[in-house]
Amino acid sequence: MGAHLFETMGTMVSLTIVEAPGTSEAVEAVKRRFAAFDERFSLYKPGSELSLVASGQVALTDSSDELRSTYAAALLWRDATGGAFTPHRPDGVIDLNGTVKALAMQAAADDLLDYGFSDWCLNVGGDVLCAGRQPDGPSWRVGVVDPTDRTALLFTLPVDGTRHAVATSGSAERADHIWTTTAISRSYLQATVVADDIETADVLATAIIAGGPSALASIVERWSIDVLTVVRDGSLSATPGLSAALARR
Amino acid sequence: MRTRATLSGIFASVAILVIGWQAGSAAVTAATATSAASGAGARPGTPGTATSPTPSATTTTATAPATTAPAAASAVTGSFTGSSTSTPYGSVQVQIVVANGTMTEVKALHLTDDGGRSVQISNTAAPILRSEVLSSQSARVSTVSGATYTSDAYLTSLQSALDQAGI
Repeated sequence: MGAHLFETMGTMVSLTIVEAPGTSEAVEAVKRRFAAFDERFSLYKPGSELSLVASGQVALTDSSDELRSTYAAALLWRDATGGAFTPHRPDGVIDLNGTVKALAMQAAADDLLDYGFSDWCLNVGGDVLCAGRQPDGPSWRVGVVDPTDRTALLFTLPVDGTRHAVATSGSAERADHIWTTTAISRSYLQATVVADDIETADVLATAIIAGGPSALASIVERWSIDVLTVVRDGSLSATPGLSAALARR
Repeated sequence: MRTRATLSGIFASVAILVIGWQAGSAAVTAATATSAASGAGARPGTPGTATSPTPSATTTTATAPATTAPAAASAVTGSFTGSSTSTPYGSVQVQIVVANGTMTEVKALHLTDDGGRSVQISNTAAPILRSEVLSSQSARVSTVSGATYTSDAYLTSLQSALDQAGI
């Protein structure tokens, strides 16, 4: 089987796919998809549309529909999370990094399905979206890194039912990329969210890290997700569904 | 007519109860719920998916009373089941038990999710022992989820090791 690896958006993509005729074309389509999102939304590329908006060379009102709708969706996430998640850097610049990776993953998933591939597992910088099953039949299994020892796994989780997306956010790595309208919480080292879609999983994992226990309590009551958090002292908490999944193995 | 009014009140209570679940209102459930219903709290994030069971204020909409209510003059006794309704947790039905015109019990029936297991209504995160989750490690892993890593961090990540192993 083997994984197809490529670099994009400042991170690494690992796509595990059951080989079949057309695999390389599908993988190329996925690469193009990520590249297109990166071209438009990267703040590391001075010529990207979002960079031009950030620098004032392009007015937001003159930007593309895609940029404005993506920004609007990010603002809805900000409102839905009470500001724990926000698409604004402290200096006011619009940074859509918090949703764009997930949107690209979803678009890539659609590409793979369009190419007729129904069994694959896509990992982009530690966020995971899977479809179907492993070649020999079992569910895809996602291991989650232990934030206190990143060479070890904390637990592994089968991806089954409708919950196809697993996102992990932490305050250890790239924490400077978590923007929030509230004072950033230091309660959790790591939050893993299991959801039906990767955008929800990714945004809410970030919001829980930023918003701490009060955000967690609010979020698990309002979205159909499972969560496991690692508290700063190393202790764990999990929603009932996740505890049950771990016990069920 | 007194019977009818009583039932009306009962079904209104059930309706309020169910609405209370959807609003996550512990106060409403605490007032009338028994153990089967206490702590019930559907996620308000998905209010559109659940509708209250819709028995109206007549006995005819209550399906199959387990024991038939006695004649109109005396107070109602029996159990009454509301119609099934879809929620994020799966199909839910509410059954009430009435003794002499007073609701004595509320049961939530058919609380199952897609997997067929019974569902814990509260989705609150609770402490879990590290030993409980560590035991899951041994199973084979397809991929690794971790806090966002950069291209550089990837090189020393478990995911990288997994990719190198080519499994």
